[in-house]
Amino acid sequence: MVNITVDGQEYSVDEKKNLIDALKDVGIHVPTFCYHPKLKVAGLCRLCLIEIEGVPKLQAGCATPVKEGMKILVSSEKIIKAREAMMEFQLINHPLDCPVCDKAGECKLQDYSFSTGQASTRYKEAKRFISQEVVGDNLLINHNRCILCLRCVRFSKEILNEESLERTQRGNNTVIACVKPGENALISHNYQGALSDICPVGALLNKNMLFKSRVWWYEKTQTICHGCSTLCKVTANVKNNEVYRYMPPENKEKDGYFICDKGRFSAPDFSKNRLYHFMINGKKKKSTETYAELYERFKKSGKVLIIGGTTESNEDLQKISEAVKLFEKNNKNTVWEFKTEDYMYKGDWNSQIDFLLTSDVRPNSKKAKEIAGDNGADKNSLKKAVKDADIIFVINELSAPFSYKTEDESALAENMVFQFLEENKGWDKTVLLTTHNNTAAKKANIAWPIQSFVEKDGTYTDKTNTEKKSAKSVKPPEGLKNSGELFEAFIETLSQKEAIA
Amino acid sequence: MATVKVHDKYKWKWYQKFYFISITSGMLVTLKYFLKCAILRQQATVQYPEEQRGYSSRFRGRHRLKRDEKGRERCTACFCCMWVCPAKCIHIEAALVPPEKANLYPEDKYAKVFNVDHLRCIFCGLCEEACPKGAIYLDGDIPKPFDNRDDFLSTKDTMLDKEGGPIIGTRL
Ligand code: SF4
Ligand code: SF4
Ligand code: SF4
Ligand code: SF4
Ligand code: FES
Repeated sequence: MVNITVDGQEYSVDEKKNLIDALKDVGIHVPTFCYHPKLKVAGLCRLCLIEIEGVPKLQAGCATPVKEGMKILVSSEKIIKAREAMMEFQLINHPLDCPVCDKAGECKLQDYSFSTGQASTRYKEAKRFISQEVVGDNLLINHNRCILCLRCVRFSKEILNEESLERTQRGNNTVIACVKPGENALISHNYQGALSDICPVGALLNKNMLFKSRVWWYEKTQTICHGCSTLCKVTANVKNNEVYRYMPPENKEKDGYFICDKGRFSAPDFSKNRLYHFMINGKKKKSTETYAELYERFKKSGKVLIIGGTTESNEDLQKISEAVKLFEKNNKNTVWEFKTEDYMYKGDWNSQIDFLLTSDVRPNSKKAKEIAGDNGADKNSLKKAVKDADIIFVINELSAPFSYKTEDESALAENMVFQFLEENKGWDKTVLLTTHNNTAAKKANIAWPIQSFVEKDGTYTDKTNTEKKSAKSVKPPEGLKNSGELFEAFIETLSQKEAIA
Repeated sequence: MATVKVHDKYKWKWYQKFYFISITSGMLVTLKYFLKCAILRQQATVQYPEEQRGYSSRFRGRHRLKRDEKGRERCTACFCCMWVCPAKCIHIEAALVPPEKANLYPEDKYAKVFNVDHLRCIFCGLCEEACPKGAIYLDGDIPKPFDNRDDFLSTKDTMLDKEGGPIIGTRL
């Protein structure tokens, strides 16, 4: 820690941090465009200008090392004038099309234009116009809005280690463009949402979210992502009781600055084509009717197979494991197989794909493994178990976005569990706990609707064995239970009929 | 109970008791307007609905969607009016302007659907005030009675001006 004087006030700040961050810690906000805590300093936008005692010219705050005894001014008249001038420069070619721009509401340029800019411009000449371009399979660039802060370029190079975007041309003609020429130059990586996010203005936009909503309509919930075993902390953006997307968490310094596209854009699947009623052979039934039907079957059967659990919270898994214990106590041969995907049978199936995403695309396989137990069985033993079992409980395995995307259900048929059930005439003895009203729910003997990941509070265990809390971001319909509660309800039915002790 | 007398009853003067003077002066007013209308044709009423009066420039009628000087639709589907509307009666669906229609819109976003439900609208004029593009004005006609609910739903077809309008910020 060192002592510095800012605007005549003494502060003690962390000298290892960048001046911008160090000042932020003590509550002083210096406006910046090009500076990002996770990227190298570029000093391009000059909005962060500060006055240092003994230095005649204004200096870029982001490129100034913090030194003991330093005396700086961040809100003197000279600085305010300088910021106004910098804003005027940035806005020379800017189309000012906030009503159209999807970034409006979370745009730095808009915010600073209000807080530090001027109300009018002196620029009378015609503005530069360059047409919008597609640069990625989910990414557009609107050159007119770009302020050439090069955050996108630096993010690609420094975080993704990839040469995809670069600054081309010179002077007034400078634009951001794809490095590789030709058709297949389009960016296709997993961080196009992050690119659009890191862009301080609305130059880089995601195609799949284009014009879907406006930023100020979202209600925000701090929660975690369901996409893989990293369980990134995220902010869920909710509108009309639907999650539209995930955004990086509020406390970025602690919880991370970036999230990947897989998580960011797959949450809407939780609200499409939902199952909100109980079903027997594809027909709508009351919950009690399904319990009664299952009770008859349960009485006669000796072998119970439970498949899945990697999508459920620790609390639900605990409840299910209690049910399993009860089944066993009552002389039912119960097997719980949590491995449901091809990749889970391979050696190290939980490895990093990139700096965030892991190859294990389920939120809670760590805990499921711990509770269900990994008996080292291979795929064939699961196949055999499906064949032999009298009752099969499938826990939320065949639902979106875990097994398929709602816009294309065909991927569901490629799911391993789906195929095993199909091949071995398993559907007639299957109780499917699911969130989605899809082919699988219609094929299963009994379908039980459950709450989806975003509809319940819960604890999940991530790849490093850390427990993380997921918060309810969407209100489930009244009475919709989660998987643990459903097992409890079924056990209660059994004990009422004295089928279980 | 004790009473307090606060006012004396008015006592008519003897000549006031005739009523003749008051009635004559009243009839003279009637006669004045009769002569004005019958001879000079200066009556204050109109033969509605054959004849109609113009409205004040501040009158709020049905919504009109405006075009700019080049005939392009001004509305860019920014949703500001939809957001501000206290009656929640505006419904907008935004879309990307297809390239072949690029000359019809100033920006790349346009309102594919723009409906105003006139059964819900309270004609507060907030939408007009909120619009950053001067695209919506309540300067249309008076909402007429219809015999079915569907006709009260104004769509782009019925609201959009056919030709280019005056510059932003003015009303017809
Ligand atoms: S596209 Fe965005 S991030 Fe990239 S240089 Fe332009 S303003 Fe900066
Ligand atoms: S890395 Fe995993 S947890 Fe993080 S955002 Fe992507 S899918 Fe979600
Ligand atoms: S006049 Fe008022 S109530 Fe009617 S559409 Fe506009 S904002 Fe809504
Ligand atoms: S009418 Fe005006 S406020 Fe409403 S969406 Fe169109 S541009 Fe926006
Ligand atoms: S933030 Fe310092 S120059 Fe851009």
